[in-house]
Amino acid sequence: MKRMLKICASFAAIAAATASMPTAAFADWLETAAAPLKGTEISGIFLDRPGYRAIIKLLPEFEKKTGIKVNYEIVPYENTREKQVLNFTSQGDLTMALVDLVWIGEFAESGWIDPIENFSKDASITDPNLKLDGFFPLLLNAFGTWGGTTYGLPFDNYSGLLFYNSCQLKDAGFDKPPATWEELKDVYAPKLTDASKKQYAFALQSLRGETQSADSFMRFLWPFGGSLLNKEFKSNLMSKESQAGLNFRQDLMKYMPPGIVSYDHAEAVNALAQGQVSMITEWSAFYGTLVDPSTSKLGDCLGVAPEPAGPAGRLPALGGFSLAVAAQASEAQKKATWLFIQWATSEEIAKPYVEAGGVSGRMAVYNDPDIKAKYKFVEPMVASWQAGVPEFRPRFPAWPAISEVIAEWGTKMMLGEVTVEGGSKEIGTRTEEILGKEGYYDGKKALLQ
Amino acid sequence: MAQTTATPNRGYGRWTPLWFLAPAVLTLFLIGIYPTIFALVTSFRQYNITRPRDGFPFIGFENYINVLSDSTFWSSLLLTARFYVTVLPIQIVLGVAIALLLHKPGMGFLKSLARVTLVVPLATTYAVVGLIGRLIFNRDFGVANQFLNWIGFPGFDWLGSQSGAFAAIAIMDIWQWTPFCALLFLAGLSMVPGEIEEAARLETSSKLALLRYVQLPYLLPGLTAVMILRSADVLKLFDMVFVMTRGGPGSATDLVSVYIQRVGFRVFDLGTASAQAILLLILTIVISRLYIRLIYREVN
Repeated sequence: MKRMLKICASFAAIAAATASMPTAAFADWLETAAAPLKGTEISGIFLDRPGYRAIIKLLPEFEKKTGIKVNYEIVPYENTREKQVLNFTSQGDLTMALVDLVWIGEFAESGWIDPIENFSKDASITDPNLKLDGFFPLLLNAFGTWGGTTYGLPFDNYSGLLFYNSCQLKDAGFDKPPATWEELKDVYAPKLTDASKKQYAFALQSLRGETQSADSFMRFLWPFGGSLLNKEFKSNLMSKESQAGLNFRQDLMKYMPPGIVSYDHAEAVNALAQGQVSMITEWSAFYGTLVDPSTSKLGDCLGVAPEPAGPAGRLPALGGFSLAVAAQASEAQKKATWLFIQWATSEEIAKPYVEAGGVSGRMAVYNDPDIKAKYKFVEPMVASWQAGVPEFRPRFPAWPAISEVIAEWGTKMMLGEVTVEGGSKEIGTRTEEILGKEGYYDGKKALLQ
Repeated sequence: MAQTTATPNRGYGRWTPLWFLAPAVLTLFLIGIYPTIFALVTSFRQYNITRPRDGFPFIGFENYINVLSDSTFWSSLLLTARFYVTVLPIQIVLGVAIALLLHKPGMGFLKSLARVTLVVPLATTYAVVGLIGRLIFNRDFGVANQFLNWIGFPGFDWLGSQSGAFAAIAIMDIWQWTPFCALLFLAGLSMVPGEIEEAARLETSSKLALLRYVQLPYLLPGLTAVMILRSADVLKLFDMVFVMTRGGPGSATDLVSVYIQRVGFRVFDLGTASAQAILLLILTIVISRLYIRLIYREVN
């Protein structure tokens, strides 16, 4: 009996050791690489969003293993670019850049971030299991790569998803969510809207700012076959497809709550969470808010599906952030930052990161049966990342200026202050003016977006 | 026995006043004058900090020409003027009314309490005022619509319509700055000599006449200060509007400061933004001189 117990114990020990082997190997590698960097301080900017709260939760583990101190400041999204740009241009203290996919062109072209190749060629500071091909190709390409060079690794990853109230849909006679935008507007929306009861089928966050340009305006171009620019970087908004998409958005407004142009993400998510609207298209990152009973009444009624397809297919909104090493950091800080970035985006911590509320860009973690079963958003999100448009919003340095133009004229369009055609012309003219000044039309700059 | 009458020098010399003044002058230079000079120099350069490779060359008056021919700048400036002429008269009327109430004899404790309460809106950060505004004017659960419902009117789409959003930021500005006007006017009223006011009260029972002929002259310096300070303040009003509406919907609340911030810190075209800011500075100085010339009167 005693012998039997010894054998069982040995098997258990071997099994435990095998299960923890990758993590242990990872830890060994990380500790060895960090040994000469002990005591180094690195700093970056985080947002007040689930992905950052998740990494903050896991941070003590990294600091304990490496002896590297990670300083972070939590900043509202709207101020993040401004803060980083000012820091980089004044040779400030940031050693790590948080790069929204639409900033990658600007940060890379300005020389504020270093290509990862500068570090990955040094085996002493590079994870033997780095596996860049383990990231969703769309994410690595869109969030971290500019002009064929990779600068950042995908860290906080979003896809546009259709969140819906399955109970309200069921009451209206639908046992599944709409598969196409056409179906959403013509079949579902009339049955789910009752203005007298302040009940609406759909809410589209459309507040002036990046919300209007990225989440509202651009969302209705790509699935309808349209785009902001054509191949020559001239406005494509007057094309039949772009006009169809923008007119569709205008038509869909009659099934949205009044005052939709004052809805930011919080208002749209809240409208679904409180049962005021039946469907929203939002970033995957808001899943946590919608399942949390303290912020949402939905409970088991929450359904998640990929964004509806348009005539050009399913081309959902794409958004997210990569982490990159800031060029202004000292050599030791650069190495320490590179270690942190690899750790934060590694396959090894992908599962704890997802369980802590983050959305990893690693493919492997979403094959985990526990993760698949526990998180409803995983399947539609993975489906959305199989295909997509990296330039869903152009990622060149001129985007912030163009975004402002779209934000103003896009909301004017929705309010009926200008026609869809008139607004599109205005945006097109102003966009071409901005791109002309940037040198895209006289061959000074490559047509990269 | 001869006595020495001269006071000992104790270190007081020719430069002593300079040392006392130096910290204030230096601070003023660092936080006021240097940034202004920097902005002035920048306004003559092509200065986009996100395009360091293009350099920062001097381009003469090109930024000024661009600003003066920019229709968005003019429309946001006109909107700012509209905002100013909407809020200021209301703030002045309410400020005078509150000051007169607080100036009435009696109810000492309540008046002291009211005076302290008046400081609360002034002490509230602009961004917080914006956040409060977003809640008050929320279409579904805001107290503004709740109030309208109580008095029998339907709810209004404040932040989702152009006129509603403009009214909402105006109301929040009036809430925040009326107490400032009231306090300045109250200070003016306290300057009226007691015997003159008492004599006037015996002469006439008309409160309007008392206000017009006795109290108003003492209110004019305060009124001039209110107009100058509010002009400068409205021209740089940014945080509250940005938090409440981000300048929208459309361009309904796109005040000139919101537009300049966008050019300066979204597009990072600091050359153009500096030219806009310098033009506004000139405008503020001209307006202030006009107010002083037309309204300000010393009380004899």
